[in-house]
Amino acid sequence: MYKKIQNHLGYYISLIAMLALSLLLAILASGNKDLQITIFILTAIFYVIWGILHHLLNHDLTSKIVIEYVLIGALGISTIFFVFMGGKGV
Amino acid sequence: MIRFFLNFFIPHHTNNYRAKLLHHESLLLVILIFFFGAFTLNYVSKAFPSVLGISSDITVSDLLNLTNQKRAENGLPPLSIDQRLSNAASGKAQNMFAENYWAHISPGGTTPWSFIRSAGYSYVYAGENLAKGFTNSQDVINAWMASPSHRKNVLSNSYNNVGFSVQTGRLSGEDTVLVVEMFGSVSEPQATATISGEDKKLVEMAAISQQEKQPVSEPEKQASNPALLTQIPVHNSNKNTPTIKGNSVMGSVKTPPKVNSGMLTKNLALIVISSFIFILTMDLIFVKRKRIVRAVGHNVDHILFFSLMILLIIIFTRGLVI
Repeated sequence: MYKKIQNHLGYYISLIAMLALSLLLAILASGNKDLQITIFILTAIFYVIWGILHHLLNHDLTSKIVIEYVLIGALGISTIFFVFMGGKGV
Repeated sequence: MIRFFLNFFIPHHTNNYRAKLLHHESLLLVILIFFFGAFTLNYVSKAFPSVLGISSDITVSDLLNLTNQKRAENGLPPLSIDQRLSNAASGKAQNMFAENYWAHISPGGTTPWSFIRSAGYSYVYAGENLAKGFTNSQDVINAWMASPSHRKNVLSNSYNNVGFSVQTGRLSGEDTVLVVEMFGSVSEPQATATISGEDKKLVEMAAISQQEKQPVSEPEKQASNPALLTQIPVHNSNKNTPTIKGNSVMGSVKTPPKVNSGMLTKNLALIVISSFIFILTMDLIFVKRKRIVRAVGHNVDHILFFSLMILLIIIFTRGLVI
């Protein structure tokens, strides 16, 4: 696993940087619900694209993997939607 | 029975060496449950507000006790509740909901001092702390104490009275709990306090209005030190002075719902996302040990993404102070 991570170090650094940026922007947008939701949706979309590109560049992309990343991204969006709309009546 | 449940969490030959909950159909089902659940909870909270809605355990007595406890720890005398300041705080909270803003000054330019004056409190010094989205009094006080400018208000020797209002309502498109704390003194204070940020602007603005309008008791003191949290009463008519309605002085008067929708959705979301992190980690370990080759996405990617989600849910649902 460690060797695998080593081989993909560049990808993971870029992913962690993107997620950290998203976290920072969400903190800066405190109090602005619309902006926070927008930041998260953009992060989820970026994550799906990043995941697909990652597998594409590694020559192991399949339709099943594309669907998996899309579903994980959609799960993230639906969870945030649940927290805001269900919990705060947005 | 145990094997049935393990089938959902652990890779096994019965689930094609991938936890059942990570299969596409399971993920899709969870997504649909979240969307459906969001609409259902939203409907129930509107149709049955006594059952489901935003609520908190924040009480005026707790806020007062905790404020005075912090002051006692710092060798300061306790503040006493003043009904007029509580009226002012109530008026401010109602105005924030009515005009839909989250700030010390309303979009129309109404300052906190207008509410205090309208309540009949002729202050020498006054201050305001605001909080929203908290569920208990201790967290509110902790957040104020963690913020330098709010902490200075709580620990200022310039005040001897305080008033609170805790109200639930809809602000910026979301249901929330607002806490307004108004400080004041009608006699000469023993010491001065410094402030920063938006409060400083308020003081500076007030100082300008003093020069333009009425001479007051200590104008030089206030104008020369804009960092003083000092509000000297202006004895002229103020067109922005609000009319304080209602009498929810000592806290929220609404009957709290039986279930707090904010806490319910937050906790459910955190449990589900944490479960997925656990399942993905288990999957990672099993696949490594069994040396199973599969054409699936990288679990580490998903774990990182879900970890971010947990942090974001906590950030999105935490209380704010200004």
